[in-house]
Amino acid sequence: MDWNAWITLFEGAWVTLWISGISIALGIVAGFGVAVLRNARIPVISKFLYYYISIIRATPMVTLVLFLFVTAPYLPIDIDRWIIAVAALTINTTAFNAEIWRSALATFSREQVEAAKAAGMTRRVMLRRIMLPQMMITSLPGLVNEMTLLIKSSPAIAMVGLADLTRITNRITAVTYEPLPPILAAAALYILMIGALVRLQRVADKYARRLAM
Amino acid sequence: MNEVLPVIEVRDLHKSFDGVEVLKGIDFDVNRGQIISIIGSSGSGKSTLLRCINWLEEPDSGSIRIVGDRVGIRADGKTPMSEKELASVRARAAMVFQSFNLWPHLSVLHNVTEAPVHVQGVNKDEAIAQAEVWLERVGMLVKKDAYPWTLSGGQKQRVAIARALAMNPEVILFDEPTSALDPELVGEVQGVIGELAADNFTMVIVTHEMDFARTISNEVVFIDKGVVVEQAAPEKFFGDPDTERLRQFVSRYR
Repeated sequence: MDWNAWITLFEGAWVTLWISGISIALGIVAGFGVAVLRNARIPVISKFLYYYISIIRATPMVTLVLFLFVTAPYLPIDIDRWIIAVAALTINTTAFNAEIWRSALATFSREQVEAAKAAGMTRRVMLRRIMLPQMMITSLPGLVNEMTLLIKSSPAIAMVGLADLTRITNRITAVTYEPLPPILAAAALYILMIGALVRLQRVADKYARRLAM
Repeated sequence: MNEVLPVIEVRDLHKSFDGVEVLKGIDFDVNRGQIISIIGSSGSGKSTLLRCINWLEEPDSGSIRIVGDRVGIRADGKTPMSEKELASVRARAAMVFQSFNLWPHLSVLHNVTEAPVHVQGVNKDEAIAQAEVWLERVGMLVKKDAYPWTLSGGQKQRVAIARALAMNPEVILFDEPTSALDPELVGEVQGVIGELAADNFTMVIVTHEMDFARTISNEVVFIDKGVVVEQAAPEKFFGDPDTERLRQFVSRYR
């Protein structure tokens, strides 16, 4: 592989990184919202979210990307393929994150909740001040795990013509006729990205000790 | 005006769990400056009564007032309170729990300032200054930057008492405050509560510790099978009870 090939490869890695990064950020926040909404047991919304999560958990990423790609033209506005990619990854990861947040909500200490109520906290204040800071720590291992799965399923966005890290290896091979080096290099870059995420889990470990009373 | 209203007024309180009636029409008053201990065997309903006062348990019928204001139900007597209304009336009674229930992600100091700052809207510096005063009182100021997991049970409970005091409540409700402690730590927590009693804080204490109830209280209440059987000053309560049931109960602790 020459310099040009490496630069092309990094461009692909960058596409994977920023599309996944935005989806991860959106998906964590949206997943929390979905979990809280489901927990509130509002009749129609709760049922809708239940089906949303069930369907998305059963749908391969490639299928979801294609579905959005073929339905986008029916929308009244023009939708960029970047948006389709981010939307697909976000819709997918939100469903999984919602389940992680929901189990953190369900297992949250009843004693602490009672102390918060007795101190005059509304549910909103309690969520923000007492529950969320602890749930971020207890959920982080699960969330990081989901982040790594998302990055590994992100090559699906090549279906809409985006040159992500996996797709780009084909383009390099088309020029060099040597498929192995770019694939190995891509694998190394994936490992780097995921390794960085796993470091996040150590942050969680550091704080988790405090919470185990 | 407020001086003449009871701090807590409970009327005809009923509460069932899964068809079993735990409270069968409780009437109960606490006046300002009173220290009332509630005793009774396990399952008598004494903790349930305490937890109904700040609506941690929702009673089936009857009324609770804190300094004249209904808890849980609006003044019309039937509409349930909104979440906000309930939160603000709850803040007037602080609670100290059997298992301390500190917030583990917050330091000792921030456990104490949390409700003043984020519920009552007290300025942060002011809340910290006040929290340090309360922590000094319970002997925990030196540990203000520590996290709950580093503390002993007795220390945790003393922080929980400072947290309750910091809300400037009308009354502090203690739910078996020493039951989860190792025997050698019971004394330090009882000592702190005793000092508060000497300063005329209004307190309701559910406890199994007879000697503690006798020395600290103005009045002791005996609850058995969901009703108030007897209520009297400690000398009479322990020395010359009116009912056979209380006589038997007290004699077991001699």
